[in-house]
Amino acid sequence: MITAGIDMGSRSVKVVLLEEIKVDGAPQLNYAVKKAHLMMPGDIDADQAAEKAFTEALAAAGVSRDQVKSVFATGAGRKQVEFATEGVTEMTAGARGAVYMYPQARTVVDVGAEEGRGIKTDADGKAIDFAGNEKCAAGAGSFAEAMSRALQLTLKEFGEASLRSDKSIPMNAQCTVFAESEVVSLIHSATPKEDIAKAVLDAVASRVCAMVRRVGIEGNVVLIGGMVHNPGFVASLKNAMDVDQVLLPELPEFVSALGCALIAAERQH
Amino acid sequence: MNDGLFDQFKEWYEKRHDYARAWKARTGGQVVATMCTYSPEELLIAAGMLPVRVLGAHEPQNVTEPHIFGMFCPFCRDSLAQGLLGRYDYAEGVTLTQSCIQYRQTYSSWRQNVPTVKWDYYVAMPNDVQSPHSRKAHIAEVQRFRVFLQTLTGKEITDDMLRESLAVCDENRRLLRQLFDYRKETNPQVTGVEALYASITAQFIDKREHNEQLKKVLAALPTRNLDRPQGARFMTIGSENDDVSFMAMVESVGATIVIDDQCSGTRYFWNASKPGDDVVRAIAERYCDRPACPTKDYPAHTRFDHVLNLAKEYNVQAAIFLQQKFCDPHEGDYPDLKRHLEANGIPTLFLEFDITNPIGPFRIRIEAMLETLSEEELF
Repeated sequence: MITAGIDMGSRSVKVVLLEEIKVDGAPQLNYAVKKAHLMMPGDIDADQAAEKAFTEALAAAGVSRDQVKSVFATGAGRKQVEFATEGVTEMTAGARGAVYMYPQARTVVDVGAEEGRGIKTDADGKAIDFAGNEKCAAGAGSFAEAMSRALQLTLKEFGEASLRSDKSIPMNAQCTVFAESEVVSLIHSATPKEDIAKAVLDAVASRVCAMVRRVGIEGNVVLIGGMVHNPGFVASLKNAMDVDQVLLPELPEFVSALGCALIAAERQH
Repeated sequence: MNDGLFDQFKEWYEKRHDYARAWKARTGGQVVATMCTYSPEELLIAAGMLPVRVLGAHEPQNVTEPHIFGMFCPFCRDSLAQGLLGRYDYAEGVTLTQSCIQYRQTYSSWRQNVPTVKWDYYVAMPNDVQSPHSRKAHIAEVQRFRVFLQTLTGKEITDDMLRESLAVCDENRRLLRQLFDYRKETNPQVTGVEALYASITAQFIDKREHNEQLKKVLAALPTRNLDRPQGARFMTIGSENDDVSFMAMVESVGATIVIDDQCSGTRYFWNASKPGDDVVRAIAERYCDRPACPTKDYPAHTRFDHVLNLAKEYNVQAAIFLQQKFCDPHEGDYPDLKRHLEANGIPTLFLEFDITNPIGPFRIRIEAMLETLSEEELF
């Protein structure tokens, strides 16, 4: 049986095709990811983006649409996935996917393009509490992206640069726009780019950490969402949360789509 | 299914300024813009006036910045904006009874900068209502307000007139309690949005007219069949929240708001006065004894158990904190009240409210809350 999870994020569409499997001698292995596909919609209408991404994923996996028993959607645009069987929120999908990958995880930190959130989960991967940023991008990936543009660095360079800094420069601005002018002031005062990058990522991490503290940091912490690809942010977050280890999935942007596909599969039983 | 039972309340809410103007033309009485539900309306009614609580419009505005800090609560700023924009130009008077410092600033700016104001009065109600000295002080403040109104109108406000207006207000409180009792039932026949329309309009519609409308609704409720799924039973907690689009959204995704602890709801009408010979004392003490706003709830935190009891009585599954941004009194209570509810098995959700609210992201949070409550096996 194959099921699909589609995460309609604000910047990208993530599709996971999940196949139920049976492995002799390994009964704990119930599912295998058949295909993980990411599409940046560009100027495509959101309602067409899901269809296009799903079609691309099916083609890449060599799976026909009829073979997919159920499609679950999540993300800010999940209502626009018209062909989805059902939808679940990002909190439920993220918790389920994260605990499937790391059964010991009880705190899930999800930082995507436009939203950051902390999720407390139980051993079954059911979200039991959550907190998110309110109406503000300063605790999310798009803030880091905007600041990297101000520094004329790619996102990859931006994250790597911050790791070369050991300075702690406080960012006082409470919003993305004012923070950008603060960054410009730092540039004008000849502050090294790596120090500015670290200041920005420390600020994002601090915002995210404040959200996670609202639900409480318990057990193992797993970080999901696109910001996992930013090593500077990961370092800043570890420091802000004062934890020894943050679990980092290999394909962090697909965890919520995976959670969706898992819920879709498990609802079939 | 909408049977139109609450349409009159909805129309009053949406056309509240038209109502006040028509009332004024019909009766020739004065209209008074009131701030805070601690305002002793009984005195204004006895003086032949219409107390109209100032509400925000939930629209972006750009007129309050010269008068009130941007980090004062959105309700205070939205309320002041309505005055500055001339939307209460029919109100001769403006009055505030002391609650929080942010509201005080709204009142001060209103009386100084709204050109149609002819008179203003500040009721210096003590915040420490738990002290017997404060209760005495408040009785004196209510009496002082009575004298002010008599001087203003040139007409005596007799004890009998006060008893009559107190009886009208108490009847309104009792009728609203009866209406809210219907929300205790499984699959209640009154939605949260309908209850909000009924309770908030009591704050600016002529009480006698409001009472008659409540009686009509109460007579029809026993046979009402709303034919809508109940979903999860939610409670709302906060200050002044009349964001109907938010409430409607909550009730459209699989929930019913069955009770609240807000000044737009139960805190306004929950208790009636205690009978006694001294009518001024009866009026004043009712305000001291009502379910407390956080500004008047110390040294003992009486509202924590009150909120929990409401949650239990109305079989609430989760409570949503509708936190007005920068509202210090409510934000100060939040951590302890959250702990108190959660320790007693009531999960909570915190949402920060502004003049306008992002319904999309809020919907996701409500839906996620519903998923966490779901007993159905998600997987």
